[in-house]
Amino acid sequence: MILTELRTSAAAFHASTGWEPKPEGLCRGEVCVPAPGALGADGALDVSIAADRLGMPLVHDSDHGVWALGSATLGGRALTTAVAADPELLTFDKKPFHLSSLRGKKVILLAWSSY
Amino acid sequence: MVTVALDIDIELARPWHDAAQATHPSLIDTTHATNALFGFTNIPMAVWIDENGTLVRPAEAASIERSPLRDMEIPEGLPEQLSKVMHAVKAIPDDAEAYRAAILDWVRNGAASKYAMTPDEVIERSRPHSDDRARATACFELGEHLRRHGHADAAVAWWKEAHRLDPQNLVYKRQAWTLVTTPEGATEYDLMQGPNDVYESNLVDEVSGEGGFAQFIVRPTL
Repeated sequence: MILTELRTSAAAFHASTGWEPKPEGLCRGEVCVPAPGALGADGALDVSIAADRLGMPLVHDSDHGVWALGSATLGGRALTTAVAADPELLTFDKKPFHLSSLRGKKVILLAWSSY
Repeated sequence: MVTVALDIDIELARPWHDAAQATHPSLIDTTHATNALFGFTNIPMAVWIDENGTLVRPAEAASIERSPLRDMEIPEGLPEQLSKVMHAVKAIPDDAEAYRAAILDWVRNGAASKYAMTPDEVIERSRPHSDDRARATACFELGEHLRRHGHADAAVAWWKEAHRLDPQNLVYKRQAWTLVTTPEGATEYDLMQGPNDVYESNLVDEVSGEGGFAQFIVRPTL
């Protein structure tokens, strides 16, 4: 997740990382991690707190004024839950596509590249 | 079946999409978000997702037919780099037949298939994830963001760091290498990704050395 400041909306954080900020903590699938102070009353998220709680490294490029948030290390595995992530992908017509639109069907998601 | 191209340039992936004339959802991930979210580190790799949106297999190598390159006679006299890569390709472990059979078994038997894992098994069998590997996802994304905004030189520094932090992630490497070895204006990527003046590493040297392509492959456990 790319950031220009260390506060973002709960919705943006959820869309990029799969972790949904809730009053009880940062939740994904069956996992909820307490994160006191992370979610403000205005719905904004303190990314530093969330990153710390989820073990997400924050990398900063000071020359360009941007941060990037790495993936969660919670649990020490690439996956912290078996609930499939649902990032916004694009069709080749540049239309958004979510894997969640295929609920009710088995899906094999195959990654390829032209290089 | 859903395919996703891990490619920051949609136009260089498009000819392959067009040629395939796919009847399934054919998607593109221009920011490599799925690398971190699903654990893709090479291609082809796949995850299986059941009807409820639950992963039943983690990211793993996903060939479904033996590549004809594996059985090709490598002629004498080829350029050295091409010959090295061809020999490395021939040595790639082949699990295609068993993987294809596993897919068909899951399609027929669903959760009762012996190849469908429980949620705990999926997590446990997913790739070990260290702080370095997590930091590599951030470095790669930062580089992609900077390149997209006209800072190609700055991107290189972050991609080098991603390569250092997660040397087994061949997608991060090949995406970066090919951008510097593909001639400007080319309509297809350079597949050799040989020695260049930008990155210390390159595909030819990495796969022709000890470990070959196998060091980058997450073989399916079937």
